[in-house]
Amino acid sequence: MLNSNANTRHNIRYSRQIIMDEIGKEGQEKLFQAKVLVVGAGGLGCPVLTYLVGAGVGTIGIVDFDSVGLSNLNRQTLYRTEDVGKKKVQAAKETLVKLNEDVTINTYSVRIDVDNIEELIKEYDFIVDALDNFSARYLLSDACYFQKKILFEGAAVSTYGTATTIVPDVTPCYRCLQPVPPADGITPSCSDIGVLGMITGVIGSIQALEVIKVIVGFGKPLYGRMVYFDGNFLELQEFEYEKTENCPICGKNPTILELEQYEIKCKMKIVDKE
Amino acid sequence: MNITVKFFATFRRGREKIVNIEVERGSTVKEVLDIVKIEVDEIAILLVNGRDGTIAQLLNDGDTLSLFPPVGGG
Repeated sequence: MLNSNANTRHNIRYSRQIIMDEIGKEGQEKLFQAKVLVVGAGGLGCPVLTYLVGAGVGTIGIVDFDSVGLSNLNRQTLYRTEDVGKKKVQAAKETLVKLNEDVTINTYSVRIDVDNIEELIKEYDFIVDALDNFSARYLLSDACYFQKKILFEGAAVSTYGTATTIVPDVTPCYRCLQPVPPADGITPSCSDIGVLGMITGVIGSIQALEVIKVIVGFGKPLYGRMVYFDGNFLELQEFEYEKTENCPICGKNPTILELEQYEIKCKMKIVDKE
Repeated sequence: MNITVKFFATFRRGREKIVNIEVERGSTVKEVLDIVKIEVDEIAILLVNGRDGTIAQLLNDGDTLSLFPPVGGG
C-alpha cells in the first residue's frame, strides 16, 4: 500500500498514461503486476527497456552476457562512453533505476543456451526477443512455445526491421513463418552491414508498445501479422501470416519435441574463416 | 501472364522495389525466382498475394510475389 506522498508521486509519474482511456488506473495496475523478460540489452533492448521501465512495468528481467563496446553507442541508448567495458546488464540497470525506482530489475549476465533458457523465462509472463542472431532467436522462440509464453519478436539491420507478436497455440509461431534457421553465410548481421540507431529505436519501440497493449489489453496486437519497416523509403508495411499445418513445432505432427541449439554463421564470420 | 514481384530489405539492393514480369501461363514461384536471380535459400519469407507461399506454387495472372531475406539482427 502506498502512503499518500508516494501515491501522489505515482499518480503524477504515470499521469500521461492513466489519463488515457486505453490505460486508466486499472491498466496502470496491470502494468505494475506484470513480469517481462527482455532477452538482449543491445539496439532493440535499450528502447524496449527504457519504455517499459518508464511506463511502470513492475518487474523486468534483463539477459545479456556481453559488455558495452564503443561501437554499440550509436544505437544502445542506455549506455554512455564511460560504460565501455562494463557488463551491459549492470550498466543498463544503473540507468534504469535512475529512471524509475518503482520497478524491480533483475539481471542475468549469461549467454542463453539449451541448459539455461527454460529456467530464465520460467518466472516471467512476457518475453521480448531483442537478440542479435538467429541461433539465439530460434532457441528463445522454441522455449517460449514449449513454456507457453507470449513472445514479442523484433529484428533490425541496416535501415530496416520487422516485428510480430506470438501467442503459443493461438497465433502462428516463429517457425510457421520461417520453419528452419537460415543457412550459414546468408544472413547479414549488424556487424556485417551496419545498423542505424533510429531503426533499432523504431523496432524496439514497436515491441515495447506491443508489450503494453497485450498486458493492458487494448488495441490490436500484431497477432498473425508482421510489420516491416524500411527507413530508406520510410515505409511501414503489414502482412498477415497463418498457422502452418506442417509447422515443425506447432503443427499437427511436430518434429521438434525438445530444445535444439543452432550455430548459424553470419556473412562476416564466413568471410573471417576464409 | 503478368506477375508483380515486390522486393524487401537487402533484396532491394541493385533492384527496383517492385517489378512486373511476363511469364508463361502455368509458371511456378521457382521460375519467377530464377528470372529475378534470387536463390531459394536466400529467402526467409515468401508471400503470394500477401499469404504464405511455396516454391512449387503455381502462379496466376496478376499474382503478387513478395520476397524477404532473413532479418535477425538487433
